[in-house]
Amino acid sequence: MTAEELKAWLDDSKMHVLIDLRLGRAYTTGHVPGALSAPYRQHGWAEMVADWAKNQNPSVELGLFGDNAVIIKAASDALQTLGVASAAAFDGGLGAWQGAGYPVVAVRDLTVDELASSLGEWTVIDVREPYELRSGVIPGAQSIPMGSLEQHAATLPKERQYALVCASGSRSQSAAAYLAEQGYRVANVVGGMSLWLGAGHPTE
Amino acid sequence: MIWLTMHDPNLGCSSYIIGDEVTGQGVVVDPLGALGVEQYILSAQDAGIEIGLVIETHVHADHLSCASALASALGVPHGVSAEAPVEFLHQDLHDGENLTFGMLTLEVWFTPGHTPDSISLIIRDLRRSTKPWAVLTGDSLFVGDVGRPDLADADDSAIRLAAQKQFDSVHRLLALPDGTEVWPAHYGSSPCGGIFMNKSPHSTIGYEREANPFVSMDRDTFVDQTLRLLKPPPEEAQAVRQKNLAGIGAGKDGAS
Repeated sequence: MTAEELKAWLDDSKMHVLIDLRLGRAYTTGHVPGALSAPYRQHGWAEMVADWAKNQNPSVELGLFGDNAVIIKAASDALQTLGVASAAAFDGGLGAWQGAGYPVVAVRDLTVDELASSLGEWTVIDVREPYELRSGVIPGAQSIPMGSLEQHAATLPKERQYALVCASGSRSQSAAAYLAEQGYRVANVVGGMSLWLGAGHPTE
Repeated sequence: MIWLTMHDPNLGCSSYIIGDEVTGQGVVVDPLGALGVEQYILSAQDAGIEIGLVIETHVHADHLSCASALASALGVPHGVSAEAPVEFLHQDLHDGENLTFGMLTLEVWFTPGHTPDSISLIIRDLRRSTKPWAVLTGDSLFVGDVGRPDLADADDSAIRLAAQKQFDSVHRLLALPDGTEVWPAHYGSSPCGGIFMNKSPHSTIGYEREANPFVSMDRDTFVDQTLRLLKPPPEEAQAVRQKNLAGIGAGKDGAS
């Protein structure tokens, strides 16, 4: 399937979900608008997606997005085994999609050193759970635990730019992608608090 | 650091998928045709590693490689020693060069002996320390043994010269810190080693310095013993080596 064919499927299909099979980091760096992140795994992935798909409206069509034919095939076969068909499958990756001139939702990577030297330019959102904050918080950071991000999102001003942080940079990656989907300008702090603390940057 | 060891127990081969645990950037070393391209791609994805380079520690003569097929399926470079007489498109690796994947570094050392193009890779995780954590020794230093010197060129004087080089390479590796983990390309009864090769796939530099019978030998004894203990070469070694030199070791399905 070419990027043009994927675009046509997204435009034509009335009810669809595009599942991005790439690793979370690749998804956060850039993905097709509206795509959901579910990095493919050989164990457990197909069951999870099939369970989810069976709770959707039966007319929802499923599309798979990836950057490698081997992974697309493995995912499609695994779903097929569980009785879930995929209506579209694209293995050209973000390069082919962007190369065809189509838009992406992007989150930039921010190193802890970059954040420390430009702290005033960012609203830092710490998505860790309250008990995790004892290890220290980046000065001025706003605490919004992962679970309540959705309800807080509407209250965040769009003119600011946001740096998302958690313990290791993994949860903040999903949170950043979510906010980017909502139209915010977002960066993910790579390595999170473990690297911020490791580099000896200040906390409060 | 993310570390996966992938074995072919039939031939006693080890291969590696290694990556930075924060950025996920990583590398595959010595992928085995017997396991096939798909298995490396799917295992790397499972581990959260995005492969940026496929490396071979040398041109193998005992088993079919799938490095060329894997590199092309992923669209990434295929790195081999600048000394390797290979026929496929590749990235030349040089002695002392550092390959970087996030905060993980692989320092290339030329360790000729088993073949003229044998390399070892010194692995550091700079998030933790600048000291070497592990070394992939290819077919230079094995657990309890050293790599045989006769598979690249079976001429008598070439074998003797290769054994001398192996002595120097092994002693270069033994200068690494004691605690450095040793992960060779073979273990058990692989035809690339001799009768002393251990069934464990890994050891440490300190333990090998203590327990490897070849370590305490002087150069002449080392060469003499290496030649004296040679087993017959693995079946079709030259044909296998020729295929690997051409980068047609194994296709996507692992078939030759």
